[in-house]
Amino acid sequence: MTSKAMSLSYLQGKNGIFSWIFSLDHKRIALLYLYSILTFFITGATLGVLMRLELLNPGKDLMEAQTYNQVFTMHGVIMIFLFIIPSIPAIFGNFFLPIMLGTDDVSFPRLNLLSWWIYIIGAIMALSTLLWGDGPADTGWTFYAPYSVKTGTNVTMSVLAAFVLGFATILTGLNFIVTIHRLRTPGMTFLKMPLFAWALYATSWIQLLATPIIGITLLMITAERVFGVGLFDPSIGGDPILYQHLFWIYSHPAVYIMALPAFGIISEILPTFANRTIFGYKAIAFSSLAIAFVGYFVWGHHMFTAGMSGTARIIFSVMTFLVAIPTSVKVFNWVATLYKGSINVQPPLLYALAFIFQFMIGGLTGVVLGALAADIHLHDTHFVVGHFHYVMFGGTGFALFGALHYWYPKMWGRMYNKLVANIAFVFLFIGFNMLYFPMLVLGLMGMPRRYYDYLPEFHVPNMISTYGSWILATGLLLMFGNLIAGAWRKREPIGRNYWKTGITLEWQTLSPPPVSNFDRMPVLPKNGPYDYDNKPEIEE
Amino acid sequence: MEHVSGFSLPNSGHNRDAEASKMGMWLFLFTEILLFGGLFIVYMVYRSLNPEAFLMASFELNVWMGTTNTVVLLVSSMTIAMSITAIQKGNRKLSIQLMVLTLVAAVIFMVVKYFEWSAKIEHGLFPGQAVYDNLPPGESLFFFLYFFMTGLHVFHIIIGSVVIGFAIHRTAKGRTTKEKYTLTENAGLLWHLVDLIWIYLFPLFYLIH
Amino acid sequence: MALGGFNLDLFVSPVLPHSLKHLNIMSNQKDLKTEGKKAPEVHISSYKDHFNTLLALLLLTFITVAISVFGANLRSLSVFTALLIATVKVIVVAYYFMHLKYDKKLYTWLLIIVVILFVSFTVLTSIEYLNR
Repeated sequence: MTSKAMSLSYLQGKNGIFSWIFSLDHKRIALLYLYSILTFFITGATLGVLMRLELLNPGKDLMEAQTYNQVFTMHGVIMIFLFIIPSIPAIFGNFFLPIMLGTDDVSFPRLNLLSWWIYIIGAIMALSTLLWGDGPADTGWTFYAPYSVKTGTNVTMSVLAAFVLGFATILTGLNFIVTIHRLRTPGMTFLKMPLFAWALYATSWIQLLATPIIGITLLMITAERVFGVGLFDPSIGGDPILYQHLFWIYSHPAVYIMALPAFGIISEILPTFANRTIFGYKAIAFSSLAIAFVGYFVWGHHMFTAGMSGTARIIFSVMTFLVAIPTSVKVFNWVATLYKGSINVQPPLLYALAFIFQFMIGGLTGVVLGALAADIHLHDTHFVVGHFHYVMFGGTGFALFGALHYWYPKMWGRMYNKLVANIAFVFLFIGFNMLYFPMLVLGLMGMPRRYYDYLPEFHVPNMISTYGSWILATGLLLMFGNLIAGAWRKREPIGRNYWKTGITLEWQTLSPPPVSNFDRMPVLPKNGPYDYDNKPEIEE
Repeated sequence: MEHVSGFSLPNSGHNRDAEASKMGMWLFLFTEILLFGGLFIVYMVYRSLNPEAFLMASFELNVWMGTTNTVVLLVSSMTIAMSITAIQKGNRKLSIQLMVLTLVAAVIFMVVKYFEWSAKIEHGLFPGQAVYDNLPPGESLFFFLYFFMTGLHVFHIIIGSVVIGFAIHRTAKGRTTKEKYTLTENAGLLWHLVDLIWIYLFPLFYLIH
Repeated sequence: MALGGFNLDLFVSPVLPHSLKHLNIMSNQKDLKTEGKKAPEVHISSYKDHFNTLLALLLLTFITVAISVFGANLRSLSVFTALLIATVKVIVVAYYFMHLKYDKKLYTWLLIIVVILFVSFTVLTSIEYLNR
């Protein structure tokens, strides 16, 4: 008891603004990231709701075509670069990676803080495009040349913002890799690491090795706009498709930057609420690396209709199918983990289950798009929009919400209202599927993406989709409201292991954790991180 | 780290860990390799699409200046490597002298580069100048890539020099010692990378004959 | 890409100390080596080794320039040989100057993986362009 009374939580102690924005504590930096990332998420979501509102009826409802172009670009830039790429690694990776490894911080705490500052600078640059000149870029978040070189909107600033944000990503990835190599607690070998750490390890390698390519590509776009060299202009020997190659060499692996950490979250949530060991630990761990590796070689499937050579299309198509294998290995393992578990249905588990369901739809529609013949028909239709929202929002987004509900008691030492959390989940689940499933249908019917208008025959599914967006927005408000309201709820005893069945190291420390993460030496289970048969006894 | 309750974790992120710093440096070098890698891909594609134009354009470059710079960089690579040997042997003074020699080499490199670039700009070959705008397809790409890649490389030379400057400062202050020479070692790694990039840039731009 | 890259964790410190006093973090920098763990033997390359490495590199440079300037009739070979020689030079620099030979094998393996990755990018891209 005495040690408990003396341990200062990371939330206590100095609490002025400077003690936060200059903090080197990975937990405080994680919260800085959390609050800034969620702010941008809400901004992006608002833009999304506005787009759906425009598409409620055929014809112009709300905004001009040009405005719509800028809104979907801004929505993409915010959601991709400011929300989903940093999201899980920067928030939960920062907070829990050191704790799960049994150490007190990342390897380079100052670099960690620097990465948050770079992120904020990049975010300000990206948002500043709203305020001056011809407004934000209207190119789509992909900045495809040659249009991105010719348009008068603020493409240069958006591109530089993405470049700066790349630094933040690289620094976080670099930090995590070194942390995992150097700071595991004695006795924790690579194969005794929690699966979330494995997922972050694979993610970090992608962040480190893919981001420089987009960096240099975006610099080339900038140079082209400043000097007018015509680098991607066919009339002087350039090639616009080369831009697409370079862009997707980064941006396809970036999809796994978004997805892999989510896989890690699910692999943490499921054993806790099934109260049994994870099925196929090694398969899940290594499939993360396999996805990371194979994911580098599939970028061409974004360009099947761009005029690539036939041979290359076939190679990229085959490689794309290959990625489905390690991914489905994971899904089978998750389902098998639930089998014969004693399942405790709690809000985090609901999000995990929704993740599996939605991610399956997202993944399988991805296989459809990876097939050459089908892609000719579906390319640039709403099918694609539906597909990647199922992967990114239905997958990563829901995993993020699940993680928030899972680690909430650990992070703040408080608890949200579970009933409201469940209701919010129902809204989110129904709203999400109502919003995006019609898009798959619309795509098959032939409705192209990125238009503010459509033919009358597409009306009904668009209406359903827009109604869905309202339900989803309600769910989001309810969920965030409930999580925020948790701060004022009467404290209930949280204890170290709120869910009782958590087994990774973060459940052995206080809630919220002390500044140096542990008040006593964490004990590793005998046979790996999910060894429920030899669970270490945790006294309060 | 030390804790109020007297408990401390064995592996702390706040310990000094030279190996971690070196690993971080290597990871950073990997990002640099891929940064330039993207440009090499662009070079490869455009050279294969415009082989004759690249050949013609490369005649504008001065092989002897390129060779001089190659030799200068290789020598500087040796001096920085030797300065690490010196500090490992505890010879701070020699280590500083060798790092200063490296900086001298960096200055020579940049002076040569300055003359090379000014000659090109005098001929109007910089993007946006009159001659450049009227170059046949492909040749303008060659010159754009030439300026972009060597420019980015010179930028790294400057950054590397600044880092070496810090290393000199620290060694002079006595904060880099026989036991603790991480900064010198990392400065060396960065400098060698700058050299590695040049080793590829040199034949690809100057030696197409 | 180079900012913050050296010594990797250095720059921000002047801004910070006031916010950290209560965390008691900065005062604790201990040297891992002094903490019971025995320091691994560090290999020190000799000055002579470095000089010999330089000689080898200069020789390779001379060869590649000579082939290019005087061997114009070998043109079809020149890109290939030039890249081959450059690669040999790079390996020499990485192996001796960058100390890979004496460091943990981990670094060599990681570097190899990175190179494989980059080569795969170029190969895939060239497959695309060669079959247009």
